[in-house]
Amino acid sequence: MCVWCERYGGGHERWYLNPANYARRLYKVRKDEPESAGTEGNPQAAGGMASMGRTFLEARERGDLETVESMKKQAHDMAWAIHFGQVMTKEELEQVLDMIYPIGLMTCACRRSMRGLPDEENFTCVGMGPGMYKWERWPDTYRGGVHFLTPDEAKQVFATLRSRGLVHTVFTFGTPYLAGLCNCDYPDCAAIRTAVDMDVKVLWKGHYIAEVDADLCNGCGLCVRRCQFKALSFSPSTLKANIDSMQCYGCGLCRDVCKPDAISLVDRATLPALVEAW
Amino acid sequence: MLPTIVVDDAKCPDPLACRKCLLVCPTRVLGLGTDVGPQKYREIAPQHFIVRGVREQFCTACMKCAEICPNGAIQVAVEKGVAA
Repeated sequence: MCVWCERYGGGHERWYLNPANYARRLYKVRKDEPESAGTEGNPQAAGGMASMGRTFLEARERGDLETVESMKKQAHDMAWAIHFGQVMTKEELEQVLDMIYPIGLMTCACRRSMRGLPDEENFTCVGMGPGMYKWERWPDTYRGGVHFLTPDEAKQVFATLRSRGLVHTVFTFGTPYLAGLCNCDYPDCAAIRTAVDMDVKVLWKGHYIAEVDADLCNGCGLCVRRCQFKALSFSPSTLKANIDSMQCYGCGLCRDVCKPDAISLVDRATLPALVEAW
Repeated sequence: MLPTIVVDDAKCPDPLACRKCLLVCPTRVLGLGTDVGPQKYREIAPQHFIVRGVREQFCTACMKCAEICPNGAIQVAVEKGVAA
């Protein structure tokens, strides 16, 4: 069972389908500690999207597991209390879009940091709920501005981004307050990078696992390039798609392009060894 | 040893507009941040943006960033012959 569903599900199938987690009463500015500044400031705090600093990388390199694990625990405790995300399917995303108000399309901080992407090419994130009223008071916070969308417009935007190959994710801003919907990819999403590169779970896997029906798979290979999590490969021995269930985040992007419908999403809860493999 | 990447901010006045190094890095080692923190509720002026090495474990020391920088602001140090 997903610990977030257990704690914050409120009787709903998933915690992010519980409207209470988008409510105004959960929204408040929580950050107490001063921002680090100066050129020697922590690149993470400075917006450089380094979720783990050089100390962590060095500990990993010299095989200092004790330091690695304790830094990971620290990072988890902080992320899970303040800002972390989970992968969602298209169906779940559409339910969220019907539930939240307002929906503000804005620029992606990750791609700005990774690619220096100009604002006009960078509208892939959505801020949602009462937090977006900040925009009225502090429009300068939002580089490039904010486009407010109706649920139907938002569904179209997300469908376009998804067809480009981006993964839907939902993020907390002061857990369990959910206020961000992102469209992510490897290598430009800091959350995916931190989870996949360093096994630091600032992004949780979704509630599903993709499975290939080998009888239906025609070996076209279209699905392979859709995977952002290094879970999908093309098997030269069977000439079929091969999904690493341990590495699958359950986003369903591979399923979108499968013409013979050979890929299906199964609930993680039905696979005992993967139930807790977030 | 992890490679070390040093950026001379004085030679890098507007990385957000230039971004050549960010785009040329094959493994996205470099990150764009600011020297003033996230600056809530304010737009950050271009001169406060800085480039730093943030994912050095993926740096292959290909030197493409150092070569492409129009102002020679980037230096990459790596220990020869030692696997990173």
